[in-house]
Parts: sequence; C-alpha cells; structure tokens
Amino acid sequence: MTLAAAPGRSARRRRAATPYVLLAPTVVMLTILFAVPAVYNVWLALHKVTPYDALGEGDYVGVANFESVLANPLTPLSARNTVVWLAFATVALRLVLGLGLAVLLQHSVLRRMRVLGVARTIVLLPWMVPPTVAVAAWKWLLDGRTGLVNKILLQTGAIPEGIPFFADLTWVWPSIVAVFVWRELPFVVISFMAGLQAISAEQYEAASIDGADGWRSFWHITLPNLRPIIAVIGLFITIGAFNNFIYVWLTTGGGPGTFTQVLATQLFTTAFVDNHLGGGAAIGLLMSGFMLVFAAVYLLTVLRRGDD
Amino acid sequence: MRRRQFLGSLAAATALAATGCSSSTGTSSSGASTGAGGQTVKLVFRQFDPPTEIAGLTKVVDSWNAANPKIQVKLETLAGASDYAQQFSREANSGSGPDVVQLGFVNVKDLAKPKILLPVSDLAKKSQPETPVDKFLALDMNEFDNKTWALPWTVDTFAMAFNDDVMKASGRQVPTTWEDLRDSAAAISKGGKAAGFVFAAASSAGAGQWFALNYYMWSKGFALVKQDGKAWVPGASTDQLASAMDYFNSLFTSGATPKSFQTVEQFTDPQIVTGVATGTAAMALMPPQTLRQARGTSQKVMTAPVPDGLKDGSSHLGGRSLGINAATKNPEAAWEFVKYLNSAKAFESIPQYPAATTVLKAMEVPAGEEGYQKQLPHSRSFARYINGPVPVPTLQKLSCAAFGAVYSGQKTSAQSAKELVDALAVALKG
Repeated sequence: MTLAAAPGRSARRRRAATPYVLLAPTVVMLTILFAVPAVYNVWLALHKVTPYDALGEGDYVGVANFESVLANPLTPLSARNTVVWLAFATVALRLVLGLGLAVLLQHSVLRRMRVLGVARTIVLLPWMVPPTVAVAAWKWLLDGRTGLVNKILLQTGAIPEGIPFFADLTWVWPSIVAVFVWRELPFVVISFMAGLQAISAEQYEAASIDGADGWRSFWHITLPNLRPIIAVIGLFITIGAFNNFIYVWLTTGGGPGTFTQVLATQLFTTAFVDNHLGGGAAIGLLMSGFMLVFAAVYLLTVLRRGDD
Repeated sequence: MRRRQFLGSLAAATALAATGCSSSTGTSSSGASTGAGGQTVKLVFRQFDPPTEIAGLTKVVDSWNAANPKIQVKLETLAGASDYAQQFSREANSGSGPDVVQLGFVNVKDLAKPKILLPVSDLAKKSQPETPVDKFLALDMNEFDNKTWALPWTVDTFAMAFNDDVMKASGRQVPTTWEDLRDSAAAISKGGKAAGFVFAAASSAGAGQWFALNYYMWSKGFALVKQDGKAWVPGASTDQLASAMDYFNSLFTSGATPKSFQTVEQFTDPQIVTGVATGTAAMALMPPQTLRQARGTSQKVMTAPVPDGLKDGSSHLGGRSLGINAATKNPEAAWEFVKYLNSAKAFESIPQYPAATTVLKAMEVPAGEEGYQKQLPHSRSFARYINGPVPVPTLQKLSCAAFGAVYSGQKTSAQSAKELVDALAVALKG
C-alpha cells in the first residue's frame, strides 16, 4: 500500500509545484528588473554616494537628501514646470488633438477621396522619428538666426527680428510643448482610432434616425464610448510626461537660466553633474510617490464616474 | 556527473561574467591578458576623442605594437560618451575595464579618491618617462593625497580664433581687452555682414560659455570659489559677479553677439566653427582641435591670445591625462605604454600639444596656432577649482544657469549674482 501510494504523492507534489515553477522565471525577472533597483534606489536616497563609489559604498545620512531636495530653491520651480507644462499642457493638447485627428482619420470623406492611407501615414510619421532627431530638426527650424520659421516670419514682415524660440521667455515653453506634442501625438491618435473602430455603426444610425446631428452624435455616442480609453491613455501619457526628461534636456537643458527646469532634469543634474546619487534618488522617490498618489486618485475618480 | 559538470561550467561562466573578462577577445585588462612567463601581454587603451580625430594616435599605437611584440595594445574608442569617467569607475570598481585610460584633467581626482587608479608616482620611482614626471604641466590636476594618480598627456587652452578677411575688412585689430572685444564686435556686427563675436551662451549644465566666463572673471582678479585658509568660500562678491553678468549681457544688448547664440551649447557648434571659417562670424574662442576643424574649411582662420590672455592665470590649462586601472594585471607594461605615449616620437604623429615640457619646447607650432603658443605659458589649470569640495561640473552648471538667467531677462544681474553666491555657499558646505 505504501509502495502504491508513493508515486501518487509524487505526482500530486509535481502538479502542485507546476504553477510555481512556471511563475518562477517571471518572478525572478521582476525581482531583478524592478524590485532590486527599487530597493537600491531607496538605499541610495538614504546615503551620500557618488557615481565613482563602488556598489554598496556610501555614508548613511538618513533623510538629509530629502531635506536638501525640499530646501533647494529650484525644486518648487521644477515641480511647477513639471506639472503645468509637461503633465498638464502636453497631455491636454494631445488628448484634444489626438481625438480630433482620430475622428478625422475615421471620416468617410478621406476614404472617398482615397487619401486615407496617406493621411494616416502623415499623422504617424513623427512617431517614427527618433526623439533626438526630432529635437534636432525642430531646433534647426526654430533657430533665431538661421531657422526656417524665422526666415519665413521675417520675409513676410511678421516680425522685425528673429526670435530665438528656445531662449526667449515668452516662447520657450510653447516651443518645447510643440516639439513634445508633435512627436508624441501619434500614439494617442492610434489609441483613439482603435477605440473609434470598436463603436458599432448601429449606434450612429439609430442616432441619425432620431435626428441627432454630428456634434450630438459625437457628444452622446463617441465620447461615452471612448471614456475608458481616454481614462487609460490619459493616465499613461500623464505619467510619461511627468517623468519625461528628453525634450527639455535636448531643447534647452533647463534654460534659459533655470526657466525650464523640470524634476527629471533636476534629478539628472543632481545625480550625474553634482555627483550626488543620493540626492537624485531622493528626487526620483518623491516623483514616484507623487505619481502613485495621482494615479490612485485619478483611477478612483474615473472608476467612480464609470460606476455612476 | 553531467549535471555536476554543467553546474561547474555555469559557476565558471558566472565568475567570468562577474569579473568582467572578455576571454573571447583576449583584450580585457584585468582578466584576459596573459601576463608573466614570457607570454604576450595584451593591454586595452581606451580614449574618447572622435574616430575622425585619432588617425595619428592609431598610427602611434600601431608603431608600438610593431616594436613591442610582447606587449600588444588594443585601442578602444568611447566617443561621444559624456560619462566616460563614470563608466570607467563602474568597470574598475568591479575589477574590469581598460588597462590604460584617457581622462580629462577634471576627472582624475574623482577617480583617485576611491583609488581605482594606480598612482603613477609609484611607478615613476622605478622608471621615469623621457621627460621626468616633475617636468610635466598640469601636475596639480593629477595629484591627490601627495601622489600623482595619472600622467598629464596633452594640454590645451582657448585662443581667440578670428577670420582674417573679416577683421581686415572691418579695419579692426584683434581685441586685447574684454571691453575692446565688445566694442569691436559690436562695430563689426553693425556692418551687417558678420556677427562680431560668437560664443556658446546656452544655460545648460555643460554649456561652452563656461570658459569665457571664467577667463573674464580671472582676468578681473576673482573666481567662483577660493581657498581661505583651510576653508573654501565663494571667490567673488555679489557685485563682482553681477558686473561679470552685465558684461556678458552687454554683448547681446550691444549687438556684438546675436541673441540666437543663447541657444548654442557647444563651442564646437557649426554656427561657431563654420561661422568663423566662412566669415559669417568674425571672432570666437576655440581650443586647438576646434580651430583645426575651422582651418580645414578656411586657412583665413587665425589665432591670437584671448582678451587679457597674456596676464598670468587669465586662461585655463586644460587637457587629458593617462591613467592606469588599479585592477590591471600588468601595471609595468601599462606604464611602459604610458611613457611611450608621452615621448617626443609619439607626438610626431599625435596632433596635440604635449604636457611633457621638454617635448612641448621642441615642438614646431602649426601655422595659424600662434595664439596658443603665446598664451599657453600664461595659462593655469582648473586646480583652483578642482582642489575644492565642489565638483567642477557643478560650478559650471550653476554659473551657466545664473548668467543665462540674466541674458534672457529671467532675473536681474544683482538677483542672479546673489543667488549664485548663495548656491556656491550651499555647495561648498556639501
């Protein structure tokens, strides 16, 4: 009896272990790629470490890194720029323009004119351009002396002298936002197009029979149907914009002066220019904490509205 | 048995990966070189100049390899990496990385502190280079804790590069003072054919205006930080810094420099280099390599000392050093190679100014580079900053942003100068 039962127990054990074995690679990967860096980041934030120190070397300083970040006069400006220009302006513009372009690209007129494919390609083109190339091209276009935009404005008499768009306090943020939105808009357009294609034509037909015009159809059919996608895309691009580094860094480096500093550029310069990895890690943790709270509040609000 | 063999192989592979060896190429320093016993030693020498500028260096390394079959060197290029020193430290800390590494003067102290370089002063006690170590320029930038941690290799400074045709057409001499520079440049700009003086005036952390700002401040007798007894303090008053900011801002308000240069970050930007070469700009500050690019386009580009550049200590002595990885298994072979790179023979092919004074004195100055020849004896290293507690890149970041804030109108010069002094004080406290 004992001999007969043994293989059965072994088989049961193997069956019971199977899910763990299958999950193990994922758990290991997640641990290596997310948990370890996250824990290391917390460790860095509590220590005084330079990029030249060996792994694990550093003096424990408690919360001093957080205190110095919060006491830095640059931090409020960076935080305000991050929220207002990156996380709000670029997100709002992309949602509005993205929805508008998606609706336009779904319109039957483009299909009838046989330009739908061309139109979609043109809209998607910026996404295919690497961000560094996009920024270089825009910097050339907007250059105060040799840029095409200034040449056109000067020749048409619109301005008396060239505008250095990335050095002028009035124009620098709109210029950065323009580059950001131009390069990142296609992702939003594609997402909304996918959402629009999922809305059944019957809904529009029924609305049309009831006498609804285009605007009312959009307001009462399109928007409610797209709400889940708008909610998710809104969250994704807000987090992406909040953490974005490349557009500000490559266009202005945070200038003129400190006018366009954002939290991501402050993090980078603290960690790798000032050689203060702990300070950079503290900024990173504060940014993550802020986004965590934002995401929780955002999702709770959206879900509650969905329930209503 | 098979399982045990597999585990053994896995452990060996893991150990190899952990030590950073690249046994397949046989070129990594710490693990792959064959070392003693009469076998060939394989060294890796890493440099960071662009591949387009290293034809001479490649020739020198090839000559070494031909003459030294027992010590073969592989030249490795890490062009475009701004954090080459940090990358080297990551590798060296894990026992890997190149045997010999080219470093900017400003990086040596950072790498000496954690002792990931081998002190060359110890190696020099056994065997001196062709020029004795104490006869090298910029040694102060390579010393820490009473030891020399890297051997200065090349030196440079910025001279005033100018387009001779434009200057002659304007009827102006190359300016010798900063005030003269502004007035001459403004007059040339008013002519409408060329910008008088151009410089990389962006506010970003690595902006090229850093050099011009310091040259101006040093010529006026102050600096960003200074040593006061044993303590380090801000080296300028608010008024002094405000006057420097006002001067540079006046370059834009007088028309001497077009405002568009407030977005230019690098002194190698084509708007500057090609501008001076083609005559759309009259003057710019350039180091030798950049000047050679400009002269590649037009031989009309000449040099003179920077304004007040013949005053001692009014310009900087920059350059590169050669460091030896503390983790190398072949320090003597690496030292022999470093000595060779500093020899007069090597500098026959390397188009740079040598830090070895005996080699420098014997060198023929290339045409158009007379400005460097006149100015180099008066240049002083950034040791005045490097010996302090604030990293030089931090000083650069703070000052470029503070000056840029004035150009753009974000802040007044008085406000920006006060904030800069406060920021320096905070940075000095650590």
